[in-house]
Amino acid sequence: MNRLYIEHDMARFTRKDITLVDMELYDGRKYENLEPRRLFPISGLDKYITLLDQEGIERAIIRDVRTLPPSEREIIEGCLREYYLIPKVTCINTCEEKYGVLSIDVETDRGHAVIEIRNILHGLKLLYGSRVLLRDGNDNRYEIPDLQKLDKRSRMLIDSFL
Amino acid sequence: MTIDANQMKEQTEGNFVGNAPFRGVKYSSNKKLTDEDLQKLEERIPKDEELKFVIMGDLNIHSRYAKSFLAVTNKMIYGFDDSFEGGVKTHTYDKVKKAYVKRCYGNAILVFSMDEDGKEFVDLSKEYVNFIRFSYKVASLYDAAANFIQSVAAGKNMDDEMQVMEAAFEKQFCVCPKCGRTLIRPGAPCMNCQSKNKIIKKLAAYVMPYKWMLLFCMILSLVTTAVSLVPPYMTQMLVDEVLPNGKKNMLIGCVLVLLGTYLIQYGVGSVRSYLLKISGDRIVADLRNDVYKKAQLLPMRFYDRTSTGSVINRISGDTSTIQAFTLRVTQEVVVQFFLLIGIIVIMFVMNWQLALLSLVPVPFVVVGSRIFGKKIHPFYRRIWRRWSAVSSILTDTIPGIRVIKAFTNEKRSVQNFEAYNNEWLKTDISASRITTLFPNIVGFVVTCGSLLIWGVGGKLVIDNPDFISTGLLVSFISYTSMFYGPVNFFANFNDSYQNALNSAERILDIIDAEPEADFAQGKHPDKLQGKIEFRNVNFSFDRSKKTLSNVSLVIEPGDIVGIVGTTGAGKSTLINLLMRYYDNYDGEILVDGINIRDIDMEFYRSEIGYVQQEPMMFHDSIFQNIAYGCDNVPVEAVINAAEVANAHEFIARLPDAYDTVLGERGTGLSGGERQRLSIARAVLKNPSILFLDEATASVDSETESLIQDAIDRLIRGRTTLMIAHRLSTLRKANKIIVVDKGEIIEMGSPEELMALKGKYYKLIQIQTMSDQIRKTKEEERFD
Repeated sequence: MNRLYIEHDMARFTRKDITLVDMELYDGRKYENLEPRRLFPISGLDKYITLLDQEGIERAIIRDVRTLPPSEREIIEGCLREYYLIPKVTCINTCEEKYGVLSIDVETDRGHAVIEIRNILHGLKLLYGSRVLLRDGNDNRYEIPDLQKLDKRSRMLIDSFL
Repeated sequence: MTIDANQMKEQTEGNFVGNAPFRGVKYSSNKKLTDEDLQKLEERIPKDEELKFVIMGDLNIHSRYAKSFLAVTNKMIYGFDDSFEGGVKTHTYDKVKKAYVKRCYGNAILVFSMDEDGKEFVDLSKEYVNFIRFSYKVASLYDAAANFIQSVAAGKNMDDEMQVMEAAFEKQFCVCPKCGRTLIRPGAPCMNCQSKNKIIKKLAAYVMPYKWMLLFCMILSLVTTAVSLVPPYMTQMLVDEVLPNGKKNMLIGCVLVLLGTYLIQYGVGSVRSYLLKISGDRIVADLRNDVYKKAQLLPMRFYDRTSTGSVINRISGDTSTIQAFTLRVTQEVVVQFFLLIGIIVIMFVMNWQLALLSLVPVPFVVVGSRIFGKKIHPFYRRIWRRWSAVSSILTDTIPGIRVIKAFTNEKRSVQNFEAYNNEWLKTDISASRITTLFPNIVGFVVTCGSLLIWGVGGKLVIDNPDFISTGLLVSFISYTSMFYGPVNFFANFNDSYQNALNSAERILDIIDAEPEADFAQGKHPDKLQGKIEFRNVNFSFDRSKKTLSNVSLVIEPGDIVGIVGTTGAGKSTLINLLMRYYDNYDGEILVDGINIRDIDMEFYRSEIGYVQQEPMMFHDSIFQNIAYGCDNVPVEAVINAAEVANAHEFIARLPDAYDTVLGERGTGLSGGERQRLSIARAVLKNPSILFLDEATASVDSETESLIQDAIDRLIRGRTTLMIAHRLSTLRKANKIIVVDKGEIIEMGSPEELMALKGKYYKLIQIQTMSDQIRKTKEEERFD
């Protein structure tokens, strides 16, 4: 397989749209309207970013965004920020289960939200002991990056459902 | 059935949202607009425009939670978002070439693809407008809005399109705002929320059939409890009267009375225990049957999201917990309750001051019990989750033991299991700290209570023997220790109650889950002819990706249709929808002109034959596996079916022939043999419509030809949909459907599509080449 892996200054990117970039490789090859997407959106935020064209065909993979020159890195990260919305929960105001629906009133880095989880087993996952992934009944995603960093009250509220 | 007034009000408001007409004209909306929102509309929308609908969203264009909304009039499209310049973005229909919802991760954007004149609206690209952003909460409404805008832009009648749009709004209100279940009509009361009062009340329904037996047991409990109160009284008589006065005859009398008491207590007690055990077992067997029955009727989307381990855990583990609890309730609670009441009455009759003293520890025990209940409840939930994870590992790995061995992954598999098991252990140990500490604290408090009686009562006996005799004190102490028994029991009862409550919750999660459409309901035609029609069908497993979009097709009775496309294109989803594994799609699927959602499910599926890529066999005889789902089938019909499926010969060669019992999932047979059995199953069913899902995948050429022969005989005279990659499978097809990225991109006869030189042509080219290579390789191998 001739998969093209991009590292360091192998490519130059131009922001085309909020989630699209044009790519010019060091050898002169050009690709338009590529969409950067994470291959590991849960376990690896900066590594292995695939670049898909409008047909969904992969044109290249960025091994690690952090190895790109700052200007290129900013473009790719900007696209990823637009594409991925996983609000990070900073505080839990209330957390109650009624009629099998877990309703969590939270403050996130994107503002205030109420997360309604219909299937607790499916919608609330504790990873690696302290990271919590939440998925509401509408398939919106949220994250508690580190449970231990939440205030004591917030921890106590969510703890019994984990 | 009474309807909660608040619920009714809420749903009525949900149905009509409560928006007053805008400039005298009604419009649709998913939420009530505030005065501020209306003010914005008033300012921005010219007087000559008519507002059609408003979709209230929850994100601004920068992915922050904020109010944003789409307002569509008969002339313009408005996007209101405070982060836009001026707070609004506008667009005209005539510039839109295509309107669609771009699904990102956790959010989506309404995008307009435009012609050249629309350049001035472009953000960063020259071809698109990222009009407004929203979360998946309103994605389905925006999907409908995109279709509306595109259709109107293409010149379609706005009123007709508005009807589709209104249906989308209506569908939003066909969901219970509390539990998310589909309602029978917009705004209808939710059957689930209405009946879900108390878990215990629901469990009580399982107890009711055995109420007379339980009542009889309760009477026996009264007898045993009453006689258990006799011995301490006899002790008082023995200490105060018989022994000090040397009354030998009375002594014999007392001993005989005690003997009689014990005989009644234990004799009646054993009969009662036996009867209670029987009723307890029956209650749980009924519950288990119901859970399993319900698990069979749950839709596929339940299993998509629930691990097999957790379902098995509920059917086996949770029902056992409830069994233990039911027995505890029916056996112990009644006895302990009557004992408690009886002792309190006797103690107060004997000496009310000492009786009051013995009640001192009770408030501590009751308060402690409540605190304990609150602390332990989350632990039981956590323990269950950890145990479900362990069960999932078991259900995953034990059937896959061959793969584990083949990859010598035993060590890692053990490590993985140990990791999950240790998680369970850790949680269980944390809970144990509370569960073991609490009863001991209660025990200590209770024992201190009896010390009080000894201290105060003893002093009274010494100071004033006429007021309290030694016998009365000894007897009182016996009653006190008996009294703390039930107190202790009820204090600890909370523990098993909480545990059972958790189990009951999980069981009711299945029992109360929304089943597939009820069987034996809906239309029941005599026979299906086999005409299939898809009308604008849209479907997604979750809201993050559309699996099918705008699929419309017609298949005539007797057509043999090949469905081709790359992996993940949506071929199997077409079949899944036709099988009614998923009913939550938009649009309509009709068979013989009837919406398949309106046809009786049992009848409908009985008219369909389904031969899967990896046929599922059960741990049963070959005969039973072929006759699966058919009752009282003549033996010769099964043999004929096997014959048609080219399976009879290999079955006859087996030592136990049709009586050969297959291992779990059909182990003991080759893939091709299992496939032929599955075809025999379909032959026996004699369906009107047949689905074949890559039936000849992963078999060698010789087996493929045997299977192909069988298929050729099977499909004769039936409407057949075949998912296939191989040319050989498609040669009988008179119609081909090419699916790509959830859309039908080509449809027609094979000849027409070959002439078109499109996707089908390319696929066939690739297939022909790979078939040639395979054939050459096979020939080389034989050489």
